[in-house]
Amino acid sequence: MNCTRRNFLIGGSTTLFLSGYFPKISFASMQKKNLIIISLRGGMDGLTAVPVIGDKRLKKLRKKLILEDVLNLNSDFGLHPKLEIFHKLWQKNQAAFVHATNIPYTGRSHFDGQNLMETGAHIPYKEKTGWLGRGLLASNIIGKGLAISLPMPLLLRGVPQNNNFFPSPDFVETKLIDQIYNEFKGEHNELIKSTLDTIRQRPLSMQIATDSDDRKKLALEAAKQLKDQSGPRVAVFDLDGFDTHAAQGGVDGAHADELEEVNKIVTILHENLGQAFDNTLILTLTEFGRTIKQNGGYGTEHGYGSAILMAGGLLKKSQVYTDWPGLKKKELFEGRDLNSTIDSRAVYNSAMSICFNQDPEFLRKEVFWGDELPDLSQELFKI
Amino acid sequence: MSLNFYRRVAFGLSPNEKPDKDPLNWAINQLDTIPDLLWPGTIPTEKDLRKKYGEWVYGDREVLRKKFKNDKHAYRKAKDELRIKTGERYFELNEHAIRHFQTKYSKQPVFERFWLFWGNHFAISEKDFLAEFSTGPYQREIIRPNMVKTFEEMVQSVTTSWCMIHHLDNSESFGPNSKKGMEWGETINENHARELLELHTVSPNAGYTQEDVIQLAYIMTGWAHKWDRKNLETGDIWFDQEMHQKGDKIVLGVKYKNDAKRELAKVIHDLATHPICIKFVSTKLCRHFITDEPTDEMINPVIEAWNKSDGNLIEIHKAVITQAYKYNENTHKFHPPEIWLMQLSRMFDLNIPLSFEKMNYTFKSKPNNRQRQLSWILREIGHSPYRAKQPNGWSDLEVDWVSPELLLRRFWFASVELPMLVKSGNRSHDFILACLKNNFEDHENMASLIENFRFGTLDYDLGQKYGVICNLPGVLKI
Repeated sequence: MNCTRRNFLIGGSTTLFLSGYFPKISFASMQKKNLIIISLRGGMDGLTAVPVIGDKRLKKLRKKLILEDVLNLNSDFGLHPKLEIFHKLWQKNQAAFVHATNIPYTGRSHFDGQNLMETGAHIPYKEKTGWLGRGLLASNIIGKGLAISLPMPLLLRGVPQNNNFFPSPDFVETKLIDQIYNEFKGEHNELIKSTLDTIRQRPLSMQIATDSDDRKKLALEAAKQLKDQSGPRVAVFDLDGFDTHAAQGGVDGAHADELEEVNKIVTILHENLGQAFDNTLILTLTEFGRTIKQNGGYGTEHGYGSAILMAGGLLKKSQVYTDWPGLKKKELFEGRDLNSTIDSRAVYNSAMSICFNQDPEFLRKEVFWGDELPDLSQELFKI
Repeated sequence: MSLNFYRRVAFGLSPNEKPDKDPLNWAINQLDTIPDLLWPGTIPTEKDLRKKYGEWVYGDREVLRKKFKNDKHAYRKAKDELRIKTGERYFELNEHAIRHFQTKYSKQPVFERFWLFWGNHFAISEKDFLAEFSTGPYQREIIRPNMVKTFEEMVQSVTTSWCMIHHLDNSESFGPNSKKGMEWGETINENHARELLELHTVSPNAGYTQEDVIQLAYIMTGWAHKWDRKNLETGDIWFDQEMHQKGDKIVLGVKYKNDAKRELAKVIHDLATHPICIKFVSTKLCRHFITDEPTDEMINPVIEAWNKSDGNLIEIHKAVITQAYKYNENTHKFHPPEIWLMQLSRMFDLNIPLSFEKMNYTFKSKPNNRQRQLSWILREIGHSPYRAKQPNGWSDLEVDWVSPELLLRRFWFASVELPMLVKSGNRSHDFILACLKNNFEDHENMASLIENFRFGTLDYDLGQKYGVICNLPGVLKI
């Protein structure tokens, strides 16, 4: 695709303007559906989050990383004890996992991998927009993205008028804006002016919040906004620190600390979305999994296959959805990594089709260049 | 000529500078020589900092990770101590101070704007510990000296610099038919080749194919850091014949005969003098100094100067400034956060960066809050210069910098942080009025907007004044 972001913006808004745009299905007549993506940067270890039970080979290769007190999922898989909320939701058919999955990238570079997990493309840095932004644009959902970060994440790029929320260290008096608002005259000041409008229309809770180091507060505010029927339909969280080359540990290691962060965010979203949780999908996203074998520092190296953690009322049922490739040497990718048997983009494409009320076939063409991505909606989500 | 020209091509006028009678001449005369770095504190060499980089990665990867494999708390503690000892938390702060001292006090501020431009064109994005140790010295020692040479020479230096090679993984690129490639079953890593085409020279407009990328990657194989057990990846760059792909290569239809290390200079010559490269880079220059979507009419004279001077950057820079001057009255350009901060610092003589005495570091404890202040501000306003997320650097388009949070951060800085950076002698209302008069035609209107606070000199009052002034449309953009 050759469109730059700018082209997208122009293209997007002109169509909107010229066609007197009305969605095929009136939004007012149905419940808003939310799609929440949590980026796990650094390479999330699927085998730590959702360990396979009783695999002798794994035990042998990961002597120092074996988990005690794994939460029980089914006869084949357990759950990391720090992912409590997922376990709780599992009982109610509101948590599920896709395992042995990844984006089709085997290069093991964080930077290329993170670029590709956001663009959904095959060649690093080639695309300048994110799959989620393109999905929103293709579905004509404009101005409904909320990023919980200071820069607008690549994942959301490609659709205009997204909001972001990551409050400054101190309270900002928005009345300062009122004092200068009328100075923004002329066409060349339109973009800033309309962004100032977005700020001025913010609910008070978003205006007085401070301290972006507190992830709890951010998640709480995001939940509040998502709950609002006229609020955002998409939210993107960003977590990093999954690159545990050393002291990855088991129940209390460095990887566990990061999973605990995911657990915290999902817990807060669940508690505060209330009824809206039933119309929500939460999915994680990462650039790759990690090696089966522990390294000299009791950590793991960059690998390939990982897992997607999912929560929300739009899930079909609690399940570990996988085409398990096995962990024998010859079954591993390049003899060292859990293989990926499901292109994770198929999961994201299906999730968008559910949340944006779009034909998955249409989205596949608009967002992922018609790549072979099977529709998994039937298997994974409530239709 | 409007006073905004001084902000279009530089950082505005400081309280003791006066507008020049001939602004175009004033600007053009700043481009012939490389101004000295003015920072009176330490300016370590790239090589010294690379050594520190080596101490840090060796200490962490080869020593601490093994020593504390069972104890994440002890590991973290030991790691923090190593950070202090190697300056892992300090050198980036010092580099920011060097950079902002330069843009604040340089007698050739127009040159400094081009320095920022080229550092971002040949961007080093956030990877490993490059921001901590390497990006600053790379911009000082690789980018800066080449700004009075040709574009081709700049590309040559950048492409064989340790920083860019590490950034784009060329040390991990093996010719599949090379000695080491065959022995170790390794193959190419295309990153550096792709970015050399896409970002640094011809851009996708040249219509290169995946095969062109592969062939260029073959040419580039062998340009790698020398690896040894102690320095790991921080050894000097050399050409390793045993990694180099043998045979002829074809890039963009041009054949490069099997010629070992000489192949790279030849292909860079062809790429850096390619008409599509010239147009692409000229457009980027005009975009930076004139407007987001420059027209052919604006760009063409720059291309002409390029062709006439065989890519001499002094002549190219002069042509860009001439065009910026010509279109100054009827074009607009939004300033990204760091340039905005540099301009405020120069126009209002703010107390940044910290004095060099206070920036002095003993490698015995963490850098203190004052030492971290400038870098912290840059991060909080969303523009930490060495930490672009991708190799294409920071965007130069308004649309990428205007989001609710990024605008709010500017209000935050101007109303909360800036008052603490006002020098004690500069707290009067008259000082602000004088600075406005020195830099803005519509200073009277600006002054009227802060008239209500004219008697206040507390931080709060200053915050109200600067909060308004710094975020006016004529300050956020020109």
